[in-house]
Amino acid sequence: MRLRKARRYILLYVLLIAIAIAIILPISWIVASSFTTRETVWKNVLPFSWRAFFPADFTLEGYQAIFEKDFGRALLNTFFLGAVTVVFGIAVGAMSGFAFARLKFRAKNFLFALVIFSFMIPGDLTIIPSFVLVRDLGWLSTWQGLIVPGLANGIIIFLFRQFFAEIPQDLIDAPRVDGATWLQVFTRIILPISKPALISAGVILFLGQWNNFFWPLLVAPDPELRVVQVAVSIIGIEQQVSLWEQMFASSTLAMLVPVLLILPFQRYYVGGILGSGLKG
Amino acid sequence: MLNKLRLERWTPAFFLAPAIILLIVFRYIPIVLGFEEALYTNSLSLAGARKFVGLNNFIAVFEDPVVWGSFKTTMVFSLVVNPLQVGLALLLAELINQRVPGIAVFRAIYLVPVAISMNVTAIAWGLALDPNYGLINGIIRTLGLPRQPFLQHPSQALWSIIGIISWIGVPYWSLFFLAGLQGISSDVLESAHVDGAGSLRTFISIKLPLLRRIIAFVLVSDTVVNFTLFAPIYLITRGGPQLSTHLVMYEAYRRGLVYGDIGIASAIISVLLIVVVVFVAVEFIVLRPRH
Repeated sequence: MRLRKARRYILLYVLLIAIAIAIILPISWIVASSFTTRETVWKNVLPFSWRAFFPADFTLEGYQAIFEKDFGRALLNTFFLGAVTVVFGIAVGAMSGFAFARLKFRAKNFLFALVIFSFMIPGDLTIIPSFVLVRDLGWLSTWQGLIVPGLANGIIIFLFRQFFAEIPQDLIDAPRVDGATWLQVFTRIILPISKPALISAGVILFLGQWNNFFWPLLVAPDPELRVVQVAVSIIGIEQQVSLWEQMFASSTLAMLVPVLLILPFQRYYVGGILGSGLKG
Repeated sequence: MLNKLRLERWTPAFFLAPAIILLIVFRYIPIVLGFEEALYTNSLSLAGARKFVGLNNFIAVFEDPVVWGSFKTTMVFSLVVNPLQVGLALLLAELINQRVPGIAVFRAIYLVPVAISMNVTAIAWGLALDPNYGLINGIIRTLGLPRQPFLQHPSQALWSIIGIISWIGVPYWSLFFLAGLQGISSDVLESAHVDGAGSLRTFISIKLPLLRRIIAFVLVSDTVVNFTLFAPIYLITRGGPQLSTHLVMYEAYRRGLVYGDIGIASAIISVLLIVVVVFVAVEFIVLRPRH
C-alpha cells in the first residue's frame, strides 16, 4: 500500500514538473535570448545546448535598439491607458454593480441580461463595425478611441454585483435610516469594505488593456499612441530583416509586467474571472 | 424631504446610466451596425462608392471560395481545438487539485501563461517553431530526429497554431475546472473511496458528471473565443501556407481593413455572430438552473 502511494507521488511530481518545464523553458529562452546580439542569438539553439535557457555573452543591445525606437513611449502609453481604464472602468462597473445588487428599479432583469449577454459575445467579434462606429465618431487615432469603448465591461459589472449582493443588509439599513443618500452609502460604506472586488476588477482591467492588441492595431497604430502589444508586433513583423534580439527584448518587457502583476494578485485575478463563469 | 424623495427616484438611473449607455453604444450598436454595413459595398473607400447591394455580400460569403474556405477551416479548427483544450484543461485541473506539498508553487507557475498576451505568445512560439533556427527544431535535430516545417507546411501549420494557443488556453480554462473540483464535497468523494472506487473511476463517474455545467460553460466560451482568433494568424502565418490557417476573423480583417471592403467583412462577421448567438442561446437553455 505504501509502495503504491509512493509510486503515485512520483508519477504526480514527474507530471507536475514536466508541465512546469513546458511553461518555464520557452519563457526563459525568450528572456535569455533578449540579452544576446543578432549574431549570437541562435548560437546555443543549433546545435542545441542547455545554455540556450540562460543569458550567454550578456549584452543590452536589443534593449538599447528598441528604446531608440520609442519602445519606452509605448510602455508609458500602455501604463497610462491601463491606469485610466482601471479608474473609470471600476467607477462604471462598481456603480452599476451596486444598482443591480441593491437598488429596485424597472426592467432590472432585462438590463442585467444585457450585461450578461455582452460578455458572452467577445468584443473582438464585432471589432470591424466597432471600428466603423469609432471612425464615424471621429475618434480614430485618439485616446478616447482607445479607452472609452472598453470602459463598460460585463465581467466587471457582474463581479461587483456578486460582491455587493453579499454585503449584510444591516450595514446599509443603518445609514439609510439616518438619512444618508444612496450615493453616500455607496462611497462611504460600500466601497471601503470592497477592497477584494476592487483589486480583482483592477487587475482584470489592467491586464486586459495591457494585453490588448487587435483594437489598438485598428484604432490607433500611430507612433504617438502606440501601445506595447502593437509595438512588439511591429518589431516582430514589419521589418525587412529579422530583428531577432529586438523581438526577444520587446517580448520580454511585454510579458514581464503582466506576470509580475498576476503572481502577487493570483487569488484576486482567479476569483474575479471565476465569478463570471461559475455563478452565472 | 419631498425633494429628496424625488431625487431618490433617479438614483438607479444615476448608478446605471454610464454602464448601460456605454454597453449599448459600444457593444450593441456595433452588432446592428455590422448587419447594416453588410448590406452595402466598399464602404471604406470614397464616400461616393458606398452603394446598397442587398444580400449580395451574404451571397458572396457562401460563394467566394476564399471566404467560405475560411469558414470551413474555422470549423475544422474549432472541432479540434475546443474539445482538445477542454479535455487537457480538465486533466490539468485534476492534477493541480491534488493536495501534495508544493502544489501552490505549481499552480502559480501554471498561471504564468494566462498573464501573457496571445500576441507575445504567438511571436515567441513563431520563433521557437521556425524550421531553420527555432528552438524546437534545435532540440529535435540534436536528438537526431528529422527537421519539422511546423508553421511553414500546410499539413502542420494549423496544428502548430492549435498548440501555440493551447499554451495559454489549457491553463486558463483549467482554473474554472479546478474551482469546480474544489467545490465537490469531500463526503461524496469519501463515500466513493469507501466503496472501493479508484481515482480514475471517481474522476469519470463522479467528478465529470458533477462538473457538467462548468464543462458546458467552458466549451461554449472557448468555442466563441476561438472563433475570433486573430493575433497568431496575423503575426505568423498570414493565413498560409496555402490558406491552411486562413481563419474567418483574419479573412474579415483582410477584406475589411486591408482591401477596404467593409461590406463583405461585415457580412462575414454577421454570419459568425449568428453562429455565436445560437451557441450562447443553447448554453443559456442548457445551463438554466432547474427549480
